[in-house]
Order: sequence, then C-alpha cells, then structure tokens
Amino acid sequence: MKTWRRLTIPYLVWGTVMLLLPMLLIVFYSLIQPGNEVTTFRVTFANFIRFFTDKDFLLILVRSLTIALKTTLICLVIGYPIAYWISRCSARMQNVLIMMITLPMWINMLVRTYAWIGILSEGGPLSVVLGWFGIHTEILYTETAVLIGMVYNFLPYMILQIHTSLTKMDPSLVEAANDLGASPFQTFWRVIFPLSLPGVISGVTLVFLPAISAFFIPKLLGGGSWFLIGNVIENQFITVGEWNFGSAISVIMAMVMMLLMTLVRKADRKGTKGGKA
Amino acid sequence: MKKQRRTTGALITTLAMIFFYLPIVFMVVFSFNSSKSLTHFTGFSIKWYQQMLQSHDMMNSLYITIVIAMLATLISTVVGTLTAIGLSYSKKLTKAYVQQINDLPMMNPDIVTAIGLMLLFITFHIERGFITLLLAHVAFCIPYVMLSVMPKLRQLDPNLADAAMDLGATPFQTLTKVIIPEIIPGILSGAIIAFTMSFDDFIISYFATGNGIKNLSIMVYTMSKRVNPSINAISTLLVLLITVVLILVNVVPIIRKKIQEKREQDPNYEPSPHKHTGRNLLIGALVVTVGLVTLFLRPTSGGQMYAGQTLHIYMPGEYISEEMITTFEEYTGATLVIDNFDSNEQMYIKVANHESFDVLIPSDYMIQRLIGEDLLMPLDQSKVDETIAQLDEQVCNLAYDPQNLYSIPYFWGTVGISYDKEKVSREELEAEGWAIFQDPKFVGDIYLYDSERDQFMTALKSLGYSMNTSDEQQLAEAYTWLETIVKTMKPEIVTDEIIDNMANARKALGLIYSGDATYVSQENEQMGFFLPEEGTNIWVDGMCIPKSATNVELAYEFINYAASYEAQMMNSSYVGYTATNLEAKQELAQGEFEGYESYSFRKGHDLDEVFEYNPDSRKTIADYWSRIKVVASNSN
Repeated sequence: MKTWRRLTIPYLVWGTVMLLLPMLLIVFYSLIQPGNEVTTFRVTFANFIRFFTDKDFLLILVRSLTIALKTTLICLVIGYPIAYWISRCSARMQNVLIMMITLPMWINMLVRTYAWIGILSEGGPLSVVLGWFGIHTEILYTETAVLIGMVYNFLPYMILQIHTSLTKMDPSLVEAANDLGASPFQTFWRVIFPLSLPGVISGVTLVFLPAISAFFIPKLLGGGSWFLIGNVIENQFITVGEWNFGSAISVIMAMVMMLLMTLVRKADRKGTKGGKA
Repeated sequence: MKKQRRTTGALITTLAMIFFYLPIVFMVVFSFNSSKSLTHFTGFSIKWYQQMLQSHDMMNSLYITIVIAMLATLISTVVGTLTAIGLSYSKKLTKAYVQQINDLPMMNPDIVTAIGLMLLFITFHIERGFITLLLAHVAFCIPYVMLSVMPKLRQLDPNLADAAMDLGATPFQTLTKVIIPEIIPGILSGAIIAFTMSFDDFIISYFATGNGIKNLSIMVYTMSKRVNPSINAISTLLVLLITVVLILVNVVPIIRKKIQEKREQDPNYEPSPHKHTGRNLLIGALVVTVGLVTLFLRPTSGGQMYAGQTLHIYMPGEYISEEMITTFEEYTGATLVIDNFDSNEQMYIKVANHESFDVLIPSDYMIQRLIGEDLLMPLDQSKVDETIAQLDEQVCNLAYDPQNLYSIPYFWGTVGISYDKEKVSREELEAEGWAIFQDPKFVGDIYLYDSERDQFMTALKSLGYSMNTSDEQQLAEAYTWLETIVKTMKPEIVTDEIIDNMANARKALGLIYSGDATYVSQENEQMGFFLPEEGTNIWVDGMCIPKSATNVELAYEFINYAASYEAQMMNSSYVGYTATNLEAKQELAQGEFEGYESYSFRKGHDLDEVFEYNPDSRKTIADYWSRIKVVASNSN
C-alpha cells in the first residue's frame, strides 16, 4: 500500500521540528556564549570547561549519580521479590494486585510527593512511630527523605517490568529444571533470574532515567539545600538566566545517560548469552 | 522452606502496598482536617473543599489539566495511529528515522526534552502559553501512541489491505473498515497511556508554558512552599475521580462478559459482531461527561465595565488576598490571571524575554533595573496622583524611582531575624547582631533565605559595609562570611517554607521578611522579630506596567484599587505585610497588628538602606550565591 506512505509525511515534518530540532538547539546553545545571535555566533567549549573544572559541580553530578544508583538498587531489591511473588499468584489475584500497584500512578506525582511532606515532617506519623522505638531523628529535608520520595515514585515501574517478563516466561522451563533435579535455589538463579533479565533491565532503565533528572522530589523533600543536577539545570534556566551554561549541563547529563544505557545494554546482551550457554 | 519464602513475599508485598497507599490515605484524611496542621488531626471540617472551590487558581489549573489532556490524547492518538499505519508500509530508512526521533523524548531525561522545547519556542519567538503547552504534550505523547499501535500492526496479515482493495474497497474504506478495527485495542491502550502521561506531566509543562497557564502539577509545585490543605482537597477529588473511572473501565467489561456468557448459553442468541462497541461507547460517554463537567466548572465572569476582559498580573506567591481578588473582579467584571514568581530574578528573565504581562509587582532595585532597560511604561500621572497622595510618604520618592513615575508602592517592609524566644535571648541578639548566624551554639538550628541580595545584605552589614557596595574586596569578604555559615553551621536554605516552619518553632533562628515575621508571631507567640543595629534593608515592592502590557486601562484600574484604603486593609490584614496606604497602615498598626515590631518597624535608622541596582555587583553576587548553594549542598 504505497499510497499510505504519504500518511507519514506530516509526522516526519512534525517530529523533525518538535523532537529533533529542540535537541539540536540545546547543543547549539551549549556551544555559544550569551549575547550571541543565531546569525553571528562563535563556537566555544567554555561552558563545558566551566563545568568540568569546577569541583563543586562535579560533586553534584557524582551525588546525582549516586542517589539515582541507590534508588535503582533499592527498587530492584524490593521490587524483584514483589514481582516474583505476584507472578506466583492466581490469575485473578495477579490482576487485582497489578491494578493496586498501577492505581497510585494515576494520581499526579507532585501531589503524591507533596503528601510525604506531612508524613515525614517533625511530629508527623513516621516520627511518632520511630519515637516508640526511641529513635528521634529528623527525616524531612535529608537524603533519606529524598530517597523515600524517589523509591515511592519509581518502584511501581520496576515491579511492573519484572512482573511482565516473569509472566511471559514459559512455565515448562521451570518444571523441566525441577524434574531434572535442580534445587529451588538453582532453578531460580540458573533459570528464572536469567530469563527475567530483560524485565530487570527495562525496570532499571525506567527507574534510573527519571531518578537522575528528578528535581521536584529533592526540592520538595530535600529542602533548598539539597541540590541535584536537575536542580542546577532548573536554577540556571529559571533563576540565573544563563541558558548557555544550563544547556551545556543538559548536554552533559544526556551524554552520561547515553553512556550508561549503552553499558547496561551491553551487559544485558552478555548476561542473556551467558544464561543460555 | 518454600512456604517460608512465600510468606516473606506476601509480607513484602503487603508492606509495599501500605507504602504505596499511606500518602494517599494521609492526604484524604488531612483534607478533612479543621486546622492547617499537616501533622495533627484537630477535627472534621470541609472548609478546605470550600476554599478549593473558591480558588480561581485551583479550579483553573484543574480545567487546564483536563482540557490539555483530552486534546493531547485526541490529537496524538489520531496522528500517532495514522503515522504508524503509513510507516508499516514505508521504506526501512523512514522507519529507522522515525524510530530514532521517537526515542529522543523516551530515552532522554524529561528535563532535557523540556529545555529543548523551551529553547525552541524562545528561538522562534513563539509566546509560551496554552498552545505551546498543548504542542509540547502532543510531542511527547505521539511516540507512546505509536509504540502501542506498532505491535498490533505487525500482527496484521500483510495481504489484508490488498484483499480489501481487490474486493473493491477504496483506500479510505480499507483504512477505516478493515485496518483500524483490527488494531483498536492498540489504539485504545495508546490513548490511555497518552492521557496519563499528559495528565501527570510536570517537568515538560513547567518549561513549556507561560502567560499564567498552569496545570495541576505546576500549581502544586508553586504552592507547595506554604502549607495549604486545599491541595489535599483537590488531590482527594482527583483520587475519587480516577478510582471511579478505573473501576468502570475494569469492572464493566467483566460484567458484560458474564452477561455475554449467559446469553451464549441461550440457543436463540446470535453473537454480535461488535464485541467492543459497548466498552467504547462507555469510554466515549465518560470522556464527554468529563468534558461537559469541566466546561461547567470553567470560571465565568459577570457583566460590568471590563466584562470578559482579563488582567495578567505577575507577582510573588501568597501576596494577595482572595477577598481582594473577588472584590476587584466583581467590581470591574474582569478576570485576574495571576502568575507567581519565586524571585525578582526569575521575573526579570521572563519580562526581558518579552513575555506579556499587564501588571508587575517587583522590588525596588528590580524596578530600577527595569526602568534602566526601558521595559516599563511611564505612568500617566493624572491617573495615579490621587492614589499617590494617600500613600505613606516614607515609601514615596525613593532613589529607585525618584518621583514614582513608573511604580506605585504595594507593600513594604524590612528584613530581620525571626527567633525562638525560648532558645535565643534578646541580649544575645543585641550583642552579636547578624553574626548570630555564625554562633556555634545554633549549629543545625538556622534557616537562611534563598535570596542572594538579602543574604549578602546580612554579610555586608555584619562586616560594617554598605549593602550597595560594588567593591570587589568587600564582596569577596561577604562571600567568605556566608561560606563560613554554610560550611560550619549546617543551615537549611529555604524560601517561603520558612514561614510555616518558624511558626512551628522548628529552628531557633531564620532570616525573614518583616511581613512573614508578623504572620509567624501571630501564629506562635513564642517567636520574636529582631532588627540588628548594624542596619538592614528597607524594601518596597511596587506595581508597574511593563511595555508588553495589553490591557493598560484595566492595569490602572487595578493599581489604583490595590493601593486604596479599602483594598490595603483587606490585603495587609490577610498577608501581614505593612500597608503603603497611610490610613490603612495607621489603623492596622493600632488595631490588629498592635505591638508587632515587624509591622510598624523602626524609622530613620542611619544604617538602614534601600537597595540600588548595580549590574556589576549583581553579576558577582549572583555567581557567588549559586556557588554558596552548591557548597552548602556539598557540605551536607
């Protein structure tokens, strides 16, 4: 049906203008200095040099990576057993449980994060419960609060991805492993886990990606003194007004993400191969 | 052992469910709280729901969110589906190209997509508002629609279309009668994903919008600094709405299936060829109902002089009373669209980039900067001289706008220290002055205010310099002074969160604006206000009309009203900031605010100054301050 090919033309134009061009603009802005015009500009790496020669910006980049990594790990460690347990339930129970996990995701993220402020603040339910155990500590506006907010927002993605890959698995493979005398532990590590790796990988991607660029979670739960790379970018654009430097930081962040994703995919390919061998 | 693992799984899942639903339950419960507290339930009340319904801001943002989500879903579903169909018959190269560009918003962090779109709109001078918000939402929704339609297309028999055409169908008929019915499930799930994505989006909307157009997320983000239980009320409403929709979508098909099964057992039953029609009709009906409800909810205005017109105001958050807005709207028939900024700098960026507003309410030094850069309209003196005559003469004819040719004072005040009388004594404050923020006794017990000029003011005053200095050496010393605080005192750097936190006596000391201090002391008697002898900043926020204004007549109407005795009484009593209208100020100072040092502060102190705009020192201070914040965040 070659006539239908024409249906793609509007989107080819739209996509180029609305998706590709913005990215090119970020790169362009990151390579020029304020005051330059589209017609008269000078390409410079000054914005990038400024970022990489400043110990404090680098520290924030490292901290953002660390907290995104921590979030991903926590989500994986908590999410995997949940997804596994759900996948063992009856079909009807699975539907109910999955719906219960998706339901909160329909509610605005900002709103759900906002609700945590009350729970975590001094005198809130969490501090009361901790008080019963004799623990008196401030949680709101600390790293713990930011971590709680991140895990809360991103854990469902991890569970859903792993669950999907677990239910897609052919159950006869597990039976075969059992019949051939594998212990439950061996069956899990040698058969189930490798086969669920694609789900784990896409779960990790779906958690890590938003976690590294999050800026309202640290702002709401971490207070003004908890800067992540997303906050630095927001600050450059909204308050300082240095779009060129802000663009450069965005480019750096996108690069870091691409690099990490390529690594993860490589590891995935190796991992699944190893599993089959 | 297996059993044990099972129970562990069940336990973790249960805990996770509690974790997922705890904030939602918390939110619902506290939306019915009778007080403002987020931690103590003091009694049942529906006042936050009433406040929500009365708040234009909230109703408007709800309306915008739903309208944008519906339009974005509709457009992206149609375009996405057609493109996907076309693509499945296209060359490899085209496929690969579309795949690549669709990956951009999905594989990039949201903030990168958001900034890209913002730069796009700015570079091509497209004014940001409803249209740009919609364009941005369509842009990130289409790839998701295509993602869910493509697999269904791949499952189609490639000869299906040819068969239909051979049997005499036109390409259009083939498309609508053969192809689309086959891939309907994919289209529907794509539409649902698009709707959720759009409904939930914050980051991209935040950068792509302007002109007072806010969705729910942006509203929550800008309002979240001060406790506002109406946010809980509106969220509860949403939870209810979503639960009902989800139950309908999920339960109704099950019931229908059961009915179907029963019917099929009936030998006389003929199966219907359109098994999804019922469900589709139901979803359609739901969408239409929601649409009608939102149209109904849309705020309307009465019919006076300015009926149907809007006035777009850009001002700091929580700086105007709802009562005053309503009175003005009733009196003129116009609608106020109010946009809030966190800082004068944030406002400046938008104004300098030619975003259009009718009235701005920036601070003194910023007014001076706007005048200098020719961004303000000179005021027609014949329209404002009566208003100026009623103002406190202390706020008139100051250096930033010597004859009030461009601005009419709205509120004014000082910057001082809010302190907990049980932890800090007046003697200590008098002995140490601003340097009390460096006193090791209060490590981890102080708030700094996230405003470069106010924090630099404290440093410069403590060091005995003028806060308007442009001497590099003095500024560097001030930087070190502040760096010492963030490195050794573990301060929290906040903005308006300080108001509720100090009212709850969470910390011993905090840098605060006088008007906020009045509110804090009113809420909690334990909190005092102190102005160091070393001097402070006397500031004035003024109303001005930018050159980009589109409704100048109405802007004058607002300015004259907002400075009048009647409006200032309402507004000053609600916000707690000092009135600029002399009569209103005197009456409040002897009435509601009697005895509050933060309301009627000292006069004629030699070391108190008004900020002046100086481009060189501004740049230095801005760089220093973003550095301080980075250092602060790294020494935590």
